[in-house]
Amino acid sequence: MSEPTATEPVNTGQIKQLLDQHKTKMKMALRVCAHCSLCAQSCFLFNTREQDPIYMPSHKFINSIGRLYKKKGNVDRQALEEISEIAWKRCVLCTRCYCPLGIDIPEMITLARTICRSQNVVNDFSAE
Amino acid sequence: MVKAKRKPLEELKAVTQPYQRILNVGCGGCVSVCLAGGQKEVLVLNNELNLAFKNENQPNRVDAYTVERQCNARHLRELERIVKDHDCMLSMACGAGAQLLAETFPDTPVLPAVNTESIGIDREVGIYEEKCRACGECVLGYTGGVCPVTRCAKGLFNGPCGGVQDGKCEISMDIPCAWYDIHGRLKNQNRLDNIKQLQMVMEWKNQTQRTTIQEAYAQRYASSK
Repeated sequence: MSEPTATEPVNTGQIKQLLDQHKTKMKMALRVCAHCSLCAQSCFLFNTREQDPIYMPSHKFINSIGRLYKKKGNVDRQALEEISEIAWKRCVLCTRCYCPLGIDIPEMITLARTICRSQNVVNDFSAE
Repeated sequence: MVKAKRKPLEELKAVTQPYQRILNVGCGGCVSVCLAGGQKEVLVLNNELNLAFKNENQPNRVDAYTVERQCNARHLRELERIVKDHDCMLSMACGAGAQLLAETFPDTPVLPAVNTESIGIDREVGIYEEKCRACGECVLGYTGGVCPVTRCAKGLFNGPCGGVQDGKCEISMDIPCAWYDIHGRLKNQNRLDNIKQLQMVMEWKNQTQRTTIQEAYAQRYASSK
């Protein structure tokens, strides 16, 4: 299993395959999320970013893995860049977020990252 | 964060030579931040290794996969379906991550691809400075935020020693004396009396393996202590 380079086109088949592997959990998470926003209070980024809703854990997983699921993996590199922005810049994967309905939000964010990684869309830590 | 540096290519080539199907596992945590073992570094190392093997008329044999954190078992589960196709793994995580990887997949040899160097700070992109030895008994509150354990060559708690000269350490004039800096910092803050306070003898807890349990979780894990 080798990883593609950034210049290669997006392999939507590979994304779909990864989505299918986690379909049950993903579908369940997206279906049961009641948008209660209780998870927000457990996110330190939400609390330290003036409670900006884009840092709500539910918002993050719905707009990352949820977007991939809704599009059935048919996304372009631009979309993956936007998803990676959510998955890396708005979440540090501290795994402290709490969902009263039992959604494993860190797992969903991890999956979004995994899919981005599979297309070599990753956070650039060498950026000045 | 933990800082690491990749091992030399020759060393990695030598240790992977006996294996035919190698999985190089990167880590999305600290080693990504210090540019030693993230996804990009995994791909670079794989290209170098595969090229080295190719130059000896050997086929490509190194695959890549990067998990979010090798020091957390939940992130290693996704490797289960891949590991079985390989006969060895290179770990580009810190020593902690490499050990959890080895513990999770005890039948597959795990070879470290980086040297874990320190707990440090980012001075610039690509330059990291050690700041903490994880001694387990932090004295920064008394030393003006300058760590004598990390910065003093002798690890003195009652410095400076007689070797200080013009604020520099006797081992090199390029190295500032930690205790000279401690004195300066405390003097600026009008806290020089801190130096006179007697501290308990350091137990050097970092010489034995430690498990950290946060107070709020002490009851939950009481039986596993």
